[in-house]
Amino acid sequence: MENSNRRNFIKRATLGSVGVATSAMILPKLKAFSQMTKNSLPVDSEWKSTTCQGCTSWCSQQVNVINGRAVRVRGNASSKVNMGEGCVRSHISLQQVYDPDRIKVPMKRTNPKKGRNEDPQFVPITWDEALDTIADKIMELRDNQETHKYMLMRGRYTYMRDLIYDRMTKIIGSPNNISHSAICAEAEKFGPYFTEGEWAYRQYDIKNAKYVLIWGADPLSANRQVAYYSAFWGDSLDHMQVAVVDPRLSITATKASEWLPVKPGEDGALASAIAHVLLTKGLWYKPFVGDFAENSAINRFEAGKEILEEKPGDVFQEIHTHGLIKWWNLELKDKTVEWAAEKTGLSAEQITRVAENFGKAAPQAISWVGGGPVMQARGGYASMACHVLNALTGAVDNEGGALKANKEYTISFPSPNDYIDAIAKAGKKHKKIDHRGRKEWPVLSKGKSGGGVITNNAAEGIINEDPNEIKVAIAYFNNFAFSCPQSERWERALSKIPFLVHCTTNGSEFTQFSDIVLPCSHHMYEKWGYVKSYANGYRHVTLLQPSIEPFWDVKIEETEIPWLLAEKLEKRGFSNLLDYYKSIKDPETNKAPETDKEFALFSLKYATQTLWDPNQYKGGDKFSGWDEFSKVGVWNSDPYPFRKRWGKMKTKTKKFEFFSETLKASLEAHAEKHHTDVDDILETCNYQARGEKAFVPHYEEPLMKGTKEEFPLVHVDFKSRFNREGRSANCTWYHELKDLDPGDNANEDVARLNPIDAKKYNIKDGDRIKLVSPVGEIECNAKIWEGNRPGTISKCYGQGHWAYGKVASEEFGKKPRGGNNNVIIPAEYDRLSGATAFYGTTRVKVVKI
Amino acid sequence: MENKKNQRRDFLKKAGLGLATIASVSAFSSPLPTNEEKKRLAMIVDLQKCTGCGACTLVCKNENNVQDGVFWANKICKTEGKFPNVRYDYIPTLCNHCDKAPCVKVCPTQAMHKDENGITMHDTEKCVGCRYCMVACPYQVISYNGEKPHKRWRSEEKLMVGTASPKELNEKVGGDTIPYYNPERAETYPGIRPKNVVEKCTFCDHLVKKGEKPRCVQRCPSKARTFGDLDNPNDKVVSLLGKHSPFRLKENLGTEPKVFYIRNFNPGKYPR
Repeated sequence: MENSNRRNFIKRATLGSVGVATSAMILPKLKAFSQMTKNSLPVDSEWKSTTCQGCTSWCSQQVNVINGRAVRVRGNASSKVNMGEGCVRSHISLQQVYDPDRIKVPMKRTNPKKGRNEDPQFVPITWDEALDTIADKIMELRDNQETHKYMLMRGRYTYMRDLIYDRMTKIIGSPNNISHSAICAEAEKFGPYFTEGEWAYRQYDIKNAKYVLIWGADPLSANRQVAYYSAFWGDSLDHMQVAVVDPRLSITATKASEWLPVKPGEDGALASAIAHVLLTKGLWYKPFVGDFAENSAINRFEAGKEILEEKPGDVFQEIHTHGLIKWWNLELKDKTVEWAAEKTGLSAEQITRVAENFGKAAPQAISWVGGGPVMQARGGYASMACHVLNALTGAVDNEGGALKANKEYTISFPSPNDYIDAIAKAGKKHKKIDHRGRKEWPVLSKGKSGGGVITNNAAEGIINEDPNEIKVAIAYFNNFAFSCPQSERWERALSKIPFLVHCTTNGSEFTQFSDIVLPCSHHMYEKWGYVKSYANGYRHVTLLQPSIEPFWDVKIEETEIPWLLAEKLEKRGFSNLLDYYKSIKDPETNKAPETDKEFALFSLKYATQTLWDPNQYKGGDKFSGWDEFSKVGVWNSDPYPFRKRWGKMKTKTKKFEFFSETLKASLEAHAEKHHTDVDDILETCNYQARGEKAFVPHYEEPLMKGTKEEFPLVHVDFKSRFNREGRSANCTWYHELKDLDPGDNANEDVARLNPIDAKKYNIKDGDRIKLVSPVGEIECNAKIWEGNRPGTISKCYGQGHWAYGKVASEEFGKKPRGGNNNVIIPAEYDRLSGATAFYGTTRVKVVKI
Repeated sequence: MENKKNQRRDFLKKAGLGLATIASVSAFSSPLPTNEEKKRLAMIVDLQKCTGCGACTLVCKNENNVQDGVFWANKICKTEGKFPNVRYDYIPTLCNHCDKAPCVKVCPTQAMHKDENGITMHDTEKCVGCRYCMVACPYQVISYNGEKPHKRWRSEEKLMVGTASPKELNEKVGGDTIPYYNPERAETYPGIRPKNVVEKCTFCDHLVKKGEKPRCVQRCPSKARTFGDLDNPNDKVVSLLGKHSPFRLKENLGTEPKVFYIRNFNPGKYPR
């Protein structure tokens, strides 16, 4: 019965197509035949080792090259970090390297006017003409003793970066090498540094964990070690519970036991309440933290009650930590579950359940800090508040816990000091364009006042010529006019620079403001370099190696381009840069490089010699020589030494600091530099804490632009599992698979609203809408979705390119395809770390178009 | 019925011979399934391991040179529940290589047929593009090429002066329509299928014949896929099916799909 019904249906359904089918009967046969005979069998097929830099997991990969073309990608099985795996985004790299919109040849601008709507009118030129022009501009600065007006902007990088980013800038004579680090996740490093002395990201031992509490990270989609975590997630769920704190239902949140859809910016409140529960319920891990003294009258933490100690240790005897009682008194005693429920919008029941289960799993209980809670204004303290839970559970440096990076042995490039002449020395003395270290910019990277970069603030420096104008700038592997919040400021800043060079694969937004465009190699397929990353209790150093012959006239931006430029400078009587580069010799032959290509290879061999040279062996994997290392493509460290840092941390007290003496010293030093006190610094920098509270992990209210009345929704930015940073949008695979980000649609750019808000603002699914913030507006489609916290509107980062290529933009150079979140996110900062705020920062209103 | 089976077997034998010839001249040496080693190939997707990333979908497109907008490997995904008790569910899909494949049954030219290992294969030379199979397939995993595939890659239009047209790029790198064209696909099936025929997943028969697993199995980042022979008691697919309670899509239709799913995508321990 069913069968015949179906047949009838088929008959009806296919009637319409019969005409097509019959007329096509003969043709396809012929075509099929021609395809079959045309395609020859593969004759030359091999797998070549390299590295994927689609995100900062930096997985070791292999490329299948068939007859000289890259055809397939797979994880490198020799890596103990990504274990032969690679995530979905690694494959998209094929559409990047073979992107027809890649720039083939150097170009120069012929339209002198610069601006968002100015067509640069690029024309192709030779490498010689391009480099001659750049060298002339640099020599002009040197002749006029104004080398500090030279600037180098760096985005993504390999560790060959120092050759162009550091050494070249110093030898030319400028303080202005500005990296992208502060739009990455510097605040994520702030918490670990000021509690355990590690300015770095962590690795999480999920293979041995029992509970994983994740803060605004989405490790199954984005950053870091997506391949490693994806490979072991499913099986780990057999022995670990997972709770994910995120205002939107991420894929990790759905692959978790608990989703805690926190109100944006309130993560710190939840963290303090969880710490409160761990202490009041006696769930802290005593072998790490310690316990109440046996003869103490007080033997428990009671909500609301301060604990008075005459001298430290009277009441509570800490083992590997410092300042628990101070932290309790200054922050935790009143941070009850009920208080947090009010702040976070979560139920008290859920908070209690999560906190208790988390505590009971100690010491295999991880607090996993992602960008969400910390890349916010005031995010440094949330970074501390979330990270410090690892100490309460004893997960720090422990099996099933939160680990640092393993030791590796790569070699720094030689010091440039002998090559820095008087002009360069004078130039270098000038202050940096990003204002780091000023009173309002402590940027305490590694504890030092002005120790880090404030990437996004460099735009202000350029626009206001503060401390000086920038006359000549070179930038590579970056797109600040797209990737920095309030990106319109970069459009103005770049328009202002009289001579701008962009080293890039694609004509991006940044390129549109450039005077010279230098076509660059694709990192994964055409470049020499190395990067380091860690997971699975190991660290690997993985090589980027050319696997295919470049098919256009492209060069490697970190080695070949600076070498060629150094040659041009030498011809103009300034040989210091070339002399320096020539000092980096091939360790195998002791031969100095004579060409750009030799320099690219020799400098890589130089930097990694201790890894591949058996005579220089220091640890980890051992190789017979460069050839073997190059073939394998990756070096692995020794396994992780658990608990080795307990009691030996790089803090002031050598302990894990609940009361951060390390932060106290840093803040006091910064205050002293500006002849003021710490409270004044905190006020200047928009923090709420005063007094000693500034030295403990604590909750600070989110700082959002715009009033609730005018901009009723909070914008939630997130990253796609297909984002190769911001560079996937010109790949068709990206768009046709976009619905694999839960809640998103294929071939669209959508902003997601909860049905409650959709009703409130009369928005229907599929409506064309505008998101308007206090600083800008973007257009996209509306998606009504239950996975969104009411009161928020979530939208993925990655689309909204008005340049980059035919697929990425609606109309190249003019009209974006979708909306770029950075147009509406205000330029705001966590000033203690210099980190740019992306989350919990932007209020928006939705306008139907 | 029995008769029909025999006919198919005869046909498969013939078809198999042709395939074996192609495979044996391949540059890759690997064990070939002989007639004595007939398999009943099946795939198991462990949904607890699956993270819904779509790598299966993408590497399938890559392996089989599938054009934009067409998916041999696809998915069913949905969000259920009301905030905050919300869950997102995901089931990766592909041709089920049904034992009783409706697409084979309705194909008027035997273009859609079963091979010696139970793979539902398709012959573009026999296909007349009638799309009966598409209508008959309850899983919507067969696509039709209404136009010559990869239109974008045949364009001669370039973005600006310093860039190439897609066609120019492809010619420069020596690809076949697409620059990252995989020639291995063409060992058993047209590398790119022509206009006016259908196409679908073949369990990567070109790889299976060389003793490799289908590409989606090889490259699943969460190792969620197991591929093997249901008729071999020592195969992992058999033990996995025994260990878990598997389900298949639309089992009630009696198509006997050979793609099985085990465990749950959502590990949530509370109502969501």
